[in-house]
Amino acid sequence: MTSPAHPLSVAVPRWAYAVALVALLITWLVLQENGVALGHAAESLHEFFHDGRHALGVPCH
Amino acid sequence: MSDNVDTGVIGFRGVLLRGVAAGGVAGLLAGLVGLFVVEVPIRAALAVEEARAAAEPAEAGGHDHGEMFSRGTQVFGGVLAAVIVGLAVGALFATAYAGSRRWFAGRPPFGRSVALAAAVFGAAALLPAVKYPANPPAVGDPGTVDYRTVLYLGVIAAGLLVVVGASGLASRLAHLGGPVRAAVVALAVVAAFVVILLVFPAPPDAVPADMPSDVLWEFRLASLAETATLWLGLGVVFGLLVDPAARRARTAAVAA
Repeated sequence: MTSPAHPLSVAVPRWAYAVALVALLITWLVLQENGVALGHAAESLHEFFHDGRHALGVPCH
Repeated sequence: MSDNVDTGVIGFRGVLLRGVAAGGVAGLLAGLVGLFVVEVPIRAALAVEEARAAAEPAEAGGHDHGEMFSRGTQVFGGVLAAVIVGLAVGALFATAYAGSRRWFAGRPPFGRSVALAAAVFGAAALLPAVKYPANPPAVGDPGTVDYRTVLYLGVIAAGLLVVVGASGLASRLAHLGGPVRAAVVALAVVAAFVVILLVFPAPPDAVPADMPSDVLWEFRLASLAETATLWLGLGVVFGLLVDPAARRARTAAVAA
């Protein structure tokens, strides 16, 4: 077998940063949101994902 | 080299989709580790919390985790959290992979992917687990949760900066031989991690006396197993999806 080509990188288009921002926001909502963005609704989010937050090592009360 | 399909050149959209798919698989695996491994000490910790509540019935404004959702719903929410976080970090991982020109340049994609995932696990999971070990329910003080969150995210940010710095240092030292370069970069990373561990303040909360230390440590190790499954699973699955050698092997297997 000939040595395979390893393309060093794939060009990252500009819209990729919007996707990355959405991904960060989703991670924040699931793991961190305690009322900064959603106010009281955050409590339901916190309680629903409670076990996941603890299990993934996120500070919790 | 003339056959683009064979050498596995894929555009950014393809890389991103593979990242999200790999993240979903890794998140589901991590969620299953959570369901079967981490839930055991969580149940033990909740028993401690209930015993505490039974001993102090006067605490009217107390925060009861069991009230808003049933335990079954919260256990499901724990698995779902791992899957959603897996999908999201899969997209972030794929973007970082695509943009990291210097990261183990010249190595096959599978090795680059696994090495990147191992580095992110070290910086974003292992490092905070050493400095601020995960705690089961019934340990954290609600009054310090914001402060603890800032410390935790700060350690992760510092750890990720070390990874970026290590990658830059490695490419700067390209003139050195492989073993010397690896030793220098490893020493620099260890030194940077030690500085981070020393500079960041100690965790503010003392572990309550009624929390058995075996429950505490079973939970901490189980939590580390879940994050390790998430990150290393992501690196392995993503690596298999993007590596042209793996794709060629699959094509050959289908053709045979």
